[in-house]
Amino acid sequence: MSVKSNTNILLLGVNHTTAPVEVRERLAIPAARLADATRSLAHQPGVREALILSTCNRVELLTVYEDGAASEAASQAPGLPSPSALRFLQDYLNIGVADIQPHVYQYREQEAIRHLFRVASSLDSMVVGEAQILGQVKQSWSVAREVGAIGSTDAFSSTLDPLLQRAFSVAKRVRTETRIGSTSVSIASVAAELARKIFGSLAGKTVLIVGAGKMSDLTARHLIEQGATMLLVSNRTMERAEAIADALRTPTITTGVLPYEQLHEQAHRADVIITSTGAAASDPTGQIFTVSSARDLLRRRRNRPVFFIDIAVPRDVETGVNELEGCFVYDIDDLQQVAAANQTSRSREAEAAESIVSSEAASYAGRLAQAPATESIKQLLMNAEAVRQSELARTAARLAAQPLSPEQQAAVEALTQSLTSKLLHAQLAALRTPRNEGESK
Amino acid sequence: MAMSLIWLRVAVLLYGVAALAVLPAALYNQPRWRHVAFPAALAGAFFHFVSLAEMLSAAHHALPVETHETLSLLGLLLAAAFVVLTLSYRTVSFGIFLLPIAVLLTIVPAFRAGHETILYVHSGWLFLHIALLLTAYAALFLSLIASLLYLVQEHRLKRKLTTSKRTWIPPLETLDQIALKALLFGFPCMTAGLLIGSVVALETIGPTFFADPKVLLSFAMWIAYSLMIFIRRHSGLRGRRAVYLSSFVFLVVLAVWSANLLSKVHSFPTP
Repeated sequence: MSVKSNTNILLLGVNHTTAPVEVRERLAIPAARLADATRSLAHQPGVREALILSTCNRVELLTVYEDGAASEAASQAPGLPSPSALRFLQDYLNIGVADIQPHVYQYREQEAIRHLFRVASSLDSMVVGEAQILGQVKQSWSVAREVGAIGSTDAFSSTLDPLLQRAFSVAKRVRTETRIGSTSVSIASVAAELARKIFGSLAGKTVLIVGAGKMSDLTARHLIEQGATMLLVSNRTMERAEAIADALRTPTITTGVLPYEQLHEQAHRADVIITSTGAAASDPTGQIFTVSSARDLLRRRRNRPVFFIDIAVPRDVETGVNELEGCFVYDIDDLQQVAAANQTSRSREAEAAESIVSSEAASYAGRLAQAPATESIKQLLMNAEAVRQSELARTAARLAAQPLSPEQQAAVEALTQSLTSKLLHAQLAALRTPRNEGESK
Repeated sequence: MAMSLIWLRVAVLLYGVAALAVLPAALYNQPRWRHVAFPAALAGAFFHFVSLAEMLSAAHHALPVETHETLSLLGLLLAAAFVVLTLSYRTVSFGIFLLPIAVLLTIVPAFRAGHETILYVHSGWLFLHIALLLTAYAALFLSLIASLLYLVQEHRLKRKLTTSKRTWIPPLETLDQIALKALLFGFPCMTAGLLIGSVVALETIGPTFFADPKVLLSFAMWIAYSLMIFIRRHSGLRGRRAVYLSSFVFLVVLAVWSANLLSKVHSFPTP
């Protein structure tokens, strides 16, 4: 159902599906310039309210036009971007229309509302369900409010403020009612999620990196994000180990280096061990953690669980280690399988989320279309009440010599109220009839 | 009908609501149902407590303490354990086991009041003796559930079944903590409960009570309980072996419970 309204909402943008990174990086607005850019967009002729969302995957301009400018924007052919937005892009970012036009999408009214809800709910993200986008939308909203490009909800005329607040609650509803963001889809985040299933909170846990590599570095960073506070690095080359430890050190993370020769004596200090040496490539019997060394490690840990993340190919941890009580071994294939299954599950959840977003967008657009009627009803009732009160006052003044008894006053009050209601009934009913219903008739 | 009985029925109803609501909350990952399950269990425990307090204040030397009423107190303790776990560990998973049992233990005394049993002396101390031992039993039961869940979660993680629907089981370390903390909490309760019972029995019956089968089994239970804590703490016992140990002690507890039939010390006259 498409609801026609005269709110003049227009959304124009590019994202990871419509524009290559070369175009997106030219359009991207850094956080430091966001306030200035938003102010500049809001000052374009005909623009009443404005918001800019700029992330690494999208740049979107959300605007509300003045009534006069609406006709200008509406007169454009459906595929053509609105002149004000294009003028802004040209003037502010110094980019030619021809360069960006093939990559731009544009939505109006209900479609714009729906798109905004999809973006805030992370349905339009590169990694569907990621949580970061909602924070970025909130940041843009906050900047737009600060520079006065969006009115507050109290202000009678603001369209974007309640719309954005609605977008946040739709995003929250999607998170609550679907499991779209509950699973991890990258190898590193899957490893961190598995660690949480073993240890609960990772606060105070120790992570040991054996070997060097981008993937082990990324996985360690994810574990640190989840609360791990101690990081140990062990590598055949001491300098390399020290370099990794230095790179991962932060004020809240303690890092240390384990000499490779002492690995087996010290490994029990770690709750999570990430291995990526591939030592077995040169020596098929050269796996770093064998069943017997893992048994020894468990004994030193007094059977406290230990999680091996083996991302080396060939593997660093002997298969049998996973059979030991308290040892959990996930190799690269295991992690990839979990990530793929989570991705499938997210896609299923996304279907449910799409239906929530569509119904919320239709309902919001419908309410927006009714808003002017609500104001007219309020005005009509206020006028009628003012006339009634003034007539009552005049009559009371005329009867000042013989004032009415309280019972008579109550009867006159009821009579005038009833008359007003009956006289207004037809007009109120006409105003309350939904606009689209009227049009379809 | 006594007010205490009305409150008990309200508690049963609320426990029932909580037991049903916890299923979608935990098994189908519908977090909204938590907002039904937790308040319902909390309110149920409150009304259960009010019912118990009214019953005790109305009683002077006689208490309606048939087996059913004693079980109802165990039901209250299990519901309270659910409330504490939800608040401490943000998990309603244990409600799947604890709440239906709380309903079952409470439903009979709520709809069929027991006959009054005359407790001639020390009725306050005897109540404390019963309450402390029931708390220890509840703690042991909780520890057993936590150990069983540990086993299930460990199996899932080892078999790489982490994408299945059973995401409601808390992390391994949390389960281990719950299992151990429950035991550590239950142990002093059991010790104090047995001591109070022994002193009261010595005063009223004399040294012959040591020959009672239930009393002997109770001391065996205390030894098994303390051994279990010692082994868990000092060898870091977890997983399958911890479940075997908890199950063994739980069997001893059941034996102690059923020994009421053979016990002379634990049979009370009815008017």
